[in-house]
Amino acid sequence: MTSKKILIITTNHSSYPGADAVGQARMGYDANTYIIRVPDPVMFPEDFYLKAFDKGIAGIIIMSSGSDCPYEGAYERLSKRVARVYEQMKVKGIAANRLKLTTICTVCRAAFLKEISEMEKAVSAV
Amino acid sequence: MDEKIKEEAAKDNYRQEPKVGVYVCHCGGNISDIIDVKAVAAALAKYPGVTVAREYAFMCSSNGQDLITEDIKNLGINRTVVAACSPSLHELTFRNVLQRAGVNPYLHEHINIREQASWVHKADHDGATAKAIKLAQAGVEKVKRKDPLNAIRVAAEPRVAVIGGGVAGMRAALSAAGKGLEAVIIEKAPRLGGKLLDLGKMYPSGEEGPAIAGKLEALVRAEKKITVHTGADIDFVGGFVGNFRVNFKNADGTSSQVKAGAIIMATGYQHYKPAQGEFGYGEDANVVTLPEFISLMKNSPAGRLEYSGKEIKSLALLHCVGSRQVEGVHKPQADGKINDYCSRVCCSSALYAANQVKDRYPGVRIYDVYRDIRTYGMQHETYYDKASKDGVLFLRHNETDQPVVTSDRTGHTVKVKDVLTWGEELEVKADLIVLVTGMMPADISLIKSQMKMPTGADRFLQEVHLKLRPVELANSGIFIAGTAQYPMDVPEAMAAAGTAAAKACILLAEPDIPLEPFVAVVDEHKCTGCGLCPAECSYDGALMMAVHNGKKVAVVNPALCKGCGACVAVCPVRAIDVAGWTLDQFDAMVEAIAKE
Amino acid sequence: MKELEKIEVDTLVVGSGIAGLQAALDLADQGYSVAIVEKAPSIGGKMISLSKVFPTLDCASCITTPRMASVSHHPRIKTLTYSTVDAIKREGRTFTAAVTRKPRYIDEKECISCKRCEEVCPVYLPDEYEQGMGAKKTISIPFTNAIPQLPVMHPEHCIRCGACARACPKDCIEFLQEPAPVEIKAKAVILATGYETTPMTAKKHYGVGELPNVISPMAAERLLAPHGPYGRVLRPSDGKVPGSIAYVQCAGSRDKSIGVPYCSRVCCMYAIKQAVLLSGSLPVADITIYYMDIRAFGKGYEQFYNNARAMGINFVKAKVARVTEDAEHNPIVRIERQEGTSAPEEVKHDLVILSQGLVPGCDVSKFGLGAGLNDFGFVQLSDETVSSAVTAGAGVFAAGVVKGPRDIPDSVVDAGSAAMEAASYIRKL
Repeated sequence: MTSKKILIITTNHSSYPGADAVGQARMGYDANTYIIRVPDPVMFPEDFYLKAFDKGIAGIIIMSSGSDCPYEGAYERLSKRVARVYEQMKVKGIAANRLKLTTICTVCRAAFLKEISEMEKAVSAV
Repeated sequence: MDEKIKEEAAKDNYRQEPKVGVYVCHCGGNISDIIDVKAVAAALAKYPGVTVAREYAFMCSSNGQDLITEDIKNLGINRTVVAACSPSLHELTFRNVLQRAGVNPYLHEHINIREQASWVHKADHDGATAKAIKLAQAGVEKVKRKDPLNAIRVAAEPRVAVIGGGVAGMRAALSAAGKGLEAVIIEKAPRLGGKLLDLGKMYPSGEEGPAIAGKLEALVRAEKKITVHTGADIDFVGGFVGNFRVNFKNADGTSSQVKAGAIIMATGYQHYKPAQGEFGYGEDANVVTLPEFISLMKNSPAGRLEYSGKEIKSLALLHCVGSRQVEGVHKPQADGKINDYCSRVCCSSALYAANQVKDRYPGVRIYDVYRDIRTYGMQHETYYDKASKDGVLFLRHNETDQPVVTSDRTGHTVKVKDVLTWGEELEVKADLIVLVTGMMPADISLIKSQMKMPTGADRFLQEVHLKLRPVELANSGIFIAGTAQYPMDVPEAMAAAGTAAAKACILLAEPDIPLEPFVAVVDEHKCTGCGLCPAECSYDGALMMAVHNGKKVAVVNPALCKGCGACVAVCPVRAIDVAGWTLDQFDAMVEAIAKE
Repeated sequence: MKELEKIEVDTLVVGSGIAGLQAALDLADQGYSVAIVEKAPSIGGKMISLSKVFPTLDCASCITTPRMASVSHHPRIKTLTYSTVDAIKREGRTFTAAVTRKPRYIDEKECISCKRCEEVCPVYLPDEYEQGMGAKKTISIPFTNAIPQLPVMHPEHCIRCGACARACPKDCIEFLQEPAPVEIKAKAVILATGYETTPMTAKKHYGVGELPNVISPMAAERLLAPHGPYGRVLRPSDGKVPGSIAYVQCAGSRDKSIGVPYCSRVCCMYAIKQAVLLSGSLPVADITIYYMDIRAFGKGYEQFYNNARAMGINFVKAKVARVTEDAEHNPIVRIERQEGTSAPEEVKHDLVILSQGLVPGCDVSKFGLGAGLNDFGFVQLSDETVSSAVTAGAGVFAAGVVKGPRDIPDSVVDAGSAAMEAASYIRKL
């Protein structure tokens, strides 16, 4: 098993149940994936991501609720914040493909696996 | 012991060193066949802060739950981590175990090592085990940093204010009062009944508007829990969920105030008023709107359809006037927008009126000029059927080929590029032109601006979510009933109003409104009063700067905060957090996961 | 038969589609106790199997599952799935419903939803949840996000190999389980029994359901769902990606010859929605909708229709006289255009969806509750200009499509008012 860890930030509302749906369907992915859940990833400041990379996390996937987000204006704020994180990653020389903002619904099993496999590729180069 | 003291004592208890109990479930092999649960428990037993770590065949079983209860009693466990199936299945089960054992139920962390580990890493037992250990350690870090949470309660006025006394407002008040909630109707007109007071025979029942309104008014007047203020001119609406105030001037010049825990907006609609010259309206006396035509029919003598003393032998109905407007084809309204929405009720209303004409004055020729006939309701298709059978002549045009109305001494001519006759330009003569006008929301700009109520591009009040929260405004405690939201007919308004009442009754079911504890919390000692966070908040009034204990700080109104955490991210000193989901918890979790 | 289980609640809700769920929640959140009886093995009704829903294209599952979860966790709601209401009697102020729990052939209390039984079962059946396009095991959990997560065994297909019983870690399999009677006493009844779509065989000249590439809209929903049977849009006969897709509107509505003269209200919008989703997953496909009138009358619907036209969905005003197929099972649609030319033409497509209408899901007159029905079997209200839920039967209320076709937003709104009428009625008892 690779020691390169992928942090997956999911939402209570859609992507966490989406990750459960992948398990219920007995689909598989690598075990270097660590799912945490939040009401909305909009709560994380830019340095949360940067510190996570510093601590040794190889890749981060933010699985938001996108247009199904129950909070007003949160997705727009989140995407702007992530754009700023990319700028800071560039300054620090962290490859942009180690962070991904995406939308996963409660039954988006295939999309969930696709995001993980893309991130696995990205972190293998780290 | 005094409740207060007991509560304080309980709090003290949590300030003591966290004693975490970790419980790893086998799930009868579902987990343990892949993950080495003994290794997970052994690794966790050595982890800082963990008092005991156990594994068991079925943690959710009553024996499994007893393990936790016993540890709380015997070892003084005050926080738990259960690594098992998805929290969607059993998080509540274990919160209840804690509660029953006298521990705050939110001091539990549920780790998912089935749906998100053993079931998806079948071929990698070591990897899955290592992952389960990391996730459980992260869970311990999180739960160590948790504070006990209690439902926040906000005192509420046990009363709903219903703004607008049309049929939707009356229905909403009746439904709320039926459940026992006091309702106050505030209506600006001198009478209850709204727009229906001006309308003649209406589908589906064939009763006249005032008769329909009268049935509801009789029920309202008989209901002791309803107070009615008519002739009431609202000049101020303020407050927030549980504690709204509505101030208004009465007809006699005196002022009144209603205090209410919830507000139902039943402010209704206005008929679309065609622009000067739109299809000749306002310039030619023989061009009228459908509502005007319906009243005219009411006053016409039997046997002779009359308008301004002259007999009407033919008429043309022009659909979608003021509705389904198209950019570039129609002139924008005063606010620069076009009415691109369908007004829903006009097709059925128009055909219902046409059928009445045919029944009472069979000799009258009727032309129906339309784009799509939208008789969607259960009985509405029969109106369309009957009109076709009775000889109403249907002409269909495309949106970009609008009909043209011209007038001369001999009457009116409607020119239509009729797609039903393969795009031929047809001209029909009619004595009267009836513009089938749609609905626009009533003017409620004062209330809207005072309460910052959201409206859509169509200017109607905008619900939070068409399916999840269809009658709620983003303003907590304010609900919409009827055509203030979108065009609808009377039966549809009855449904919407009943549901608005249901939401008000749910909100005010108890004297205090219980709120989720997961709201933003400010640490006043850390807060520097910089003012960055209120700008991030999407919920009006939920987060504001105020002076507290002589210091400018951010203040959260828990009744309005939704707990999204947008404010958390921008605080430069980490003085604001969402209760139950704090940043330091997540930092510690990531630290635990990242550690080699 | 097992011992009679007795339940006493304020309100009995028959049906757990979106209307039934919402009515139950709106009552329970006001403090009333509710029992829901659902004939299917999961709550959620038709909506849980849809892909995305108009006009905002939110994921149907994401909207339904939180409500299903709220219902199943609600301390005041008791949910009986895979159960039938056999009769309801009214005595004085109390309704007594005779309900049968159908056997799942497992111990529901002990089951941990691990699907081991399903994994080892050797017998495959067509999966009705996937509209027959996928396969499921003879013992299986009905679908991914079913609530409860309990498997059902179909004994008529079981070969009694015992593999499931050996695999079950909790020893839950009960081959000899019998139907269990339940008696529910309630003060009020809410009928929320929903709809079925008009049968594919309803219209003779549309292929009577025998053309493999002429499918139902429910099947199209599954093809479009992110967790659908193939994971992508393929046509059933040969698994080919369809390049030309057509919708035949009013294929089960506005038609006296099939006994459905009324408009089903939802078909225009679901067809437009599916067309929009299809053009998203098959960007090069030609998509045509043959229609009489487009009825986009709800909030945001006209704008949705306009967007679909701007995306290049082809709207053709035409009557469809006949649907046949060629030797490669390509559907041939014979149309009479209402614009342009009057000569009938035949158009070949790869896949055709018949926009079926809605008919009552259950003949509620069998309960004998005094709620009148209209000519088409939908519940008739006492006076719909006064209340949207009160029927002629005292204490009997109606929510959602049981009263006539309506879309999801209208059904959700409708359910709240039914809950309110039941609450008022109970209070005044």
